[in-house]
Amino acid sequence: MEYSVVQWAWVVPVLPLLVFLFLTAIGERRARGGVYASVVVAWIAVVCAGIVAVFQLRANSSYTWEEWSWLRMGEWTLTFGFEVTNLNVLMLAMVTCVSALVLTYSLGYMKDDLRQTTFFAYVCLFTFAMNGLVLSSHLLQLYIFWEIMGFCSFLLIGFWYTKPAAKRAAKKAFIVTRIGDVALFIAIVWLFWEMPRGSLSFNDIHNALIEGQLDATATTAIAILIFIGAMGKSGQFPLHTWLPDAMEGPTPISALIHAATMVAAGVFLVVRTYDFFLASEIALDIVAYVGAFTACMAAFIALKQDDIKRILAYSTVSQLGTMMLALGMGTRAALVASVFHLLTHAFFKALLFLGAGNVIHATHTQSLAQLGGLMRTLKLTALTFGIGALALAGVFPLAGFWSKEAIFYVLWQESPPLFWVSLLTAGLTALYMTRLFVRVFLGAPRIKNVHTLSRVMTWPLVAMAGVVVCSGWVYTPWSDWLPLQLGYVAMPHESNVVVLLSTTVVLASIFLGWGLYRPKAEAMRTQATNVVHPPTKKGFRKQKRLAKMQPVVHQGQPAASKKTGFFTNVLVRAFYIDELYDIVVVKPFQGIAQALVWVDQVCIRGVMDGIGRWLFVIGRGGTSLQNGQVQRYGVMVVWGFLLLISVVVVRRFW
Amino acid sequence: MDMTTLVSWLIFSPLIGVFVVACMPATQGHMVRKIGIGSTFLPLIGSIVLFVLYHQAQPTSFAQHMEWIAFTLPAMALDTSWAIQEVVVRIPYHVDVNGISLAFVLLTTIVTCMAAWSAVHIQKRLKTFFILLLLLQVGMLGVFCARDLMLFFLFFELTLVPMFFLIGIYGFYDRERAANTFLVYNGFGSALLLIAFVWLMATAGAHVSEGVLQFSSDYATISSYFRTSEALVDGGELTHVAHPFLLSEGDRTALFLLLLLAFGIKLPIFPLHPWMLRVHGEAHPAVVMIHSGILLKMGAYGLIVFAYGWFPAEIHAWGTVLAVLGVINIVAGALMACVQQDIKQVLAYSSISHMGIVLLGLAAQNEIGVQGAVFQLVSHGFISALLFLIVGMLVSRAHTTDLRQCGGLAQSMPFLSAMWMVAGMASLGLPGLSGFVGEWLSFVGLFQTMPVLTVIGCSGMVWAAVYMLRVILRVTYGERRVGMPMYSDVRFVEAVPLTVLVSIIVLLGVYPNVLNDTTEAAIRLVVQPLWELHQGNEPVTVPPFIQGEG
Repeated sequence: MEYSVVQWAWVVPVLPLLVFLFLTAIGERRARGGVYASVVVAWIAVVCAGIVAVFQLRANSSYTWEEWSWLRMGEWTLTFGFEVTNLNVLMLAMVTCVSALVLTYSLGYMKDDLRQTTFFAYVCLFTFAMNGLVLSSHLLQLYIFWEIMGFCSFLLIGFWYTKPAAKRAAKKAFIVTRIGDVALFIAIVWLFWEMPRGSLSFNDIHNALIEGQLDATATTAIAILIFIGAMGKSGQFPLHTWLPDAMEGPTPISALIHAATMVAAGVFLVVRTYDFFLASEIALDIVAYVGAFTACMAAFIALKQDDIKRILAYSTVSQLGTMMLALGMGTRAALVASVFHLLTHAFFKALLFLGAGNVIHATHTQSLAQLGGLMRTLKLTALTFGIGALALAGVFPLAGFWSKEAIFYVLWQESPPLFWVSLLTAGLTALYMTRLFVRVFLGAPRIKNVHTLSRVMTWPLVAMAGVVVCSGWVYTPWSDWLPLQLGYVAMPHESNVVVLLSTTVVLASIFLGWGLYRPKAEAMRTQATNVVHPPTKKGFRKQKRLAKMQPVVHQGQPAASKKTGFFTNVLVRAFYIDELYDIVVVKPFQGIAQALVWVDQVCIRGVMDGIGRWLFVIGRGGTSLQNGQVQRYGVMVVWGFLLLISVVVVRRFW
Repeated sequence: MDMTTLVSWLIFSPLIGVFVVACMPATQGHMVRKIGIGSTFLPLIGSIVLFVLYHQAQPTSFAQHMEWIAFTLPAMALDTSWAIQEVVVRIPYHVDVNGISLAFVLLTTIVTCMAAWSAVHIQKRLKTFFILLLLLQVGMLGVFCARDLMLFFLFFELTLVPMFFLIGIYGFYDRERAANTFLVYNGFGSALLLIAFVWLMATAGAHVSEGVLQFSSDYATISSYFRTSEALVDGGELTHVAHPFLLSEGDRTALFLLLLLAFGIKLPIFPLHPWMLRVHGEAHPAVVMIHSGILLKMGAYGLIVFAYGWFPAEIHAWGTVLAVLGVINIVAGALMACVQQDIKQVLAYSSISHMGIVLLGLAAQNEIGVQGAVFQLVSHGFISALLFLIVGMLVSRAHTTDLRQCGGLAQSMPFLSAMWMVAGMASLGLPGLSGFVGEWLSFVGLFQTMPVLTVIGCSGMVWAAVYMLRVILRVTYGERRVGMPMYSDVRFVEAVPLTVLVSIIVLLGVYPNVLNDTTEAAIRLVVQPLWELHQGNEPVTVPPFIQGEG
């Protein structure tokens, strides 16, 4: 094998792992030093990933190293390694970039947290797992990183572990994604026996599917199981409920894990195992319809949420649904469009979350009911947030526009009904983003003491905004760089109808939003809230810390109110899905468990102890016979004699 | 180099510690503790030496075979055509290690050492504690190294007595009842085991040569009986030198069920488990480390060696039953663990659930399944030892394991909480830690034979997350309970065993071949009879086996 820089791709995941070990070792003693070191290494990782990406994209032939014998199972061997393809390096570059930006941002955001080393260590472990997942050459290896990533997500959601809401959210995230993970696990187990020689490496899977070596039913079932796994991670209906709750975690985490990278891993998984879906019409349809439904449903819910982060979370669910919907079309162009949207979405959604983080950091609230008019005080944040919002809405010429356009075009060609659903989702997206932006940044200032933000918390946003403005040009009607890199040669012809339709819908929605949520009408309804600002700097820091530990504002879903209409209530409570789960799943299983415990404690233990007690009774009876008194023995002799006689008599005359 | 006595040295090396500790004055508690902990290092070093030698390029024989008990019985008239002049019963002293036993020996020495170390929390009757602990270790090591039924039985019984006292003296409030329950259940199991062993010895152990009828309890003799196919065929041609003591199909089924029941109590299989709940709940955590970490494994070890090695047809016939029992263990154990209020009870039910995975691996009837069962056993041994080590530290501080009274410990004990998290994650099967590998292997193994039951069993992974997270989060997350003091985090002495166990769990999870290298050849031999059976009856589904060393 010819020497190539690409062979060193494994360095990219290993770097954050080393930082994780280092930070774990030093503990909280020299927090700031360790934290700065981790940011420096994160940027080194970006450089490495960049170099690998450049060389890989230039060479344009994938490199696979599979030498590490992880486990011998019978006569089969699981060999792990890493694989560098164009798709992988693009993902790798995205992940390291977002991760480095978010870590830099966290320098400011987590400055006063007592456990910041732990925070950075978790983030580094996460980055390791995500990079490892991206480079995995073996399905089980991917699964291992997949789970470690989920574990990091769990740790970080519950980072402020004293908050009951954070604890609940972390637990929920772990368990709900675990349901998907088990499906993926079963898929892998099944695939092991379907594959010739039990090989689970992506190359072999690809070859086996191309050559049609797999049973059709098994392929469909495995594809569906894989998709259930992806549903768990990527928050697709009905396993999406953990993602909005996951917003209890620190905001940088929401940006990195729950918007840009981990939740996109589900989409990445489907892309990586796309051969299964191409081989099964049913699985493709499931992907498409689940994606479409999720996209639309989440967009509706986002319309009526009060918490900035929850709105963005539902928006993430919706966008991931759109990516899945595109993947459900089952063409190469759909795959490219989906990956394109995944990459652009990572940047603009991370940008939006970091912007939201700035808002929360500056005002100590994340409720739309209390925010307003921050445009004047948080100029740079407002500007970059605006760019992110427009990109998410899909406005020319930002990255989101191009990636959505690519998806619309595929849908238009493949499945017009789903195109209209997707268009509706786009309209709703524009609408709720307008609402969010207007409510937070426009109108009269309603919070008196807005804290200034350090530079380290603003320039990552500027950098991301830069990416969001520029990155769309990799795939436009005039440039086919991205499809070429992903091995799709045919040049897509953008349809003017699609562009016109989508632009009209988006602009109309923005104007509609402006009409509905205009600051004037809003300002009359509610009054400004005051946030107490303690005089000293020390006191301020303490308050900030407290504010993070115990949020000033009620978090989570607001209670349904009687004043509002039925439809609004349904949206505010997110279609009552959590309540439904409680009734349909949680309660019955608790009942079954209690019944089982009763069976265990009363029946099984009772029977077992009962046997023991009978032995004692018999033993005692025997003991009392043998008490050493002649009278007792005499009586026994008499009884015995009578018994004997009766037996003889009965036998004789019966 | 002659290594034949090494295994015996290893088995009986704790006796040195017993002797030294017994000679010390009980008043010198501190010294007793040091010596007691120190003497668990002897077998630990011994087992490491054994491990290293076992992996040397040149295979060394560790087998030690000696005449031990031999007596003659009055000659019996078997058949007029045979001239039996003498009837001899031979019980040899035969010890050896293979890959499987070596893995368990290492588990035993490491966990015992860590349990002794964790006895820093034990204050009363230290001398007795260490003497009993070391005696117990002799029994456990003997069980895994014995190559003779009677010797196995002797060591098996030897574990009961010290364990009875360890539970009864050092536990919580209801410890004496727990000790009694332990003894009654296990005594019953042992009785069944003895019946099975004597039966085996009197039939499969019989061997006629040159007019001498021998009854031997050596594994090798019995194995060769089961390997000789004509001995298993009803009405087959009987020859003078072969096996006149026929085990009919019914006899073999009965023997298999006897073994299953005897070892099933130890494992425990679902309805036979009440005793272990009591032991988990009432014994001292250091004792539970051994109990849950090693003693439960002896049941599965017995099933692997005896049931798998000698009753392949029965394993095949009863495979579905085993799998169903395994699924019941997994699901019922996990569901009940979800609603317990005591940490120890949650962990007890979780052990039942994890032993279900072992049963599934055994039900798989292929090499991967047995590999999974062995891996799961070893990994669960370390994980449950770690969990109860932490429980012990918790008890020494908070004096409670009630989930309703715990909370927010991460604030004052970050290190212990981190370890608790790792242990819990290992238990629920997070990849990268050892628990996952056992699950993966067992489920893959079973999927080949029974896909539907595998899928049901996999649901246990979700429940494991539910109950483990509940325990982890209730204890460490949240606000500190009102009135709960800020407990001090672990001291350096306490941190050492934690770190050792966590390192092993991580090592096994990150690079499972470490264990696999040791057990592979032995597992192949164990599965071989079953594979031959499959080959004879059905199209080949299992790959050919490499002949490994015995």
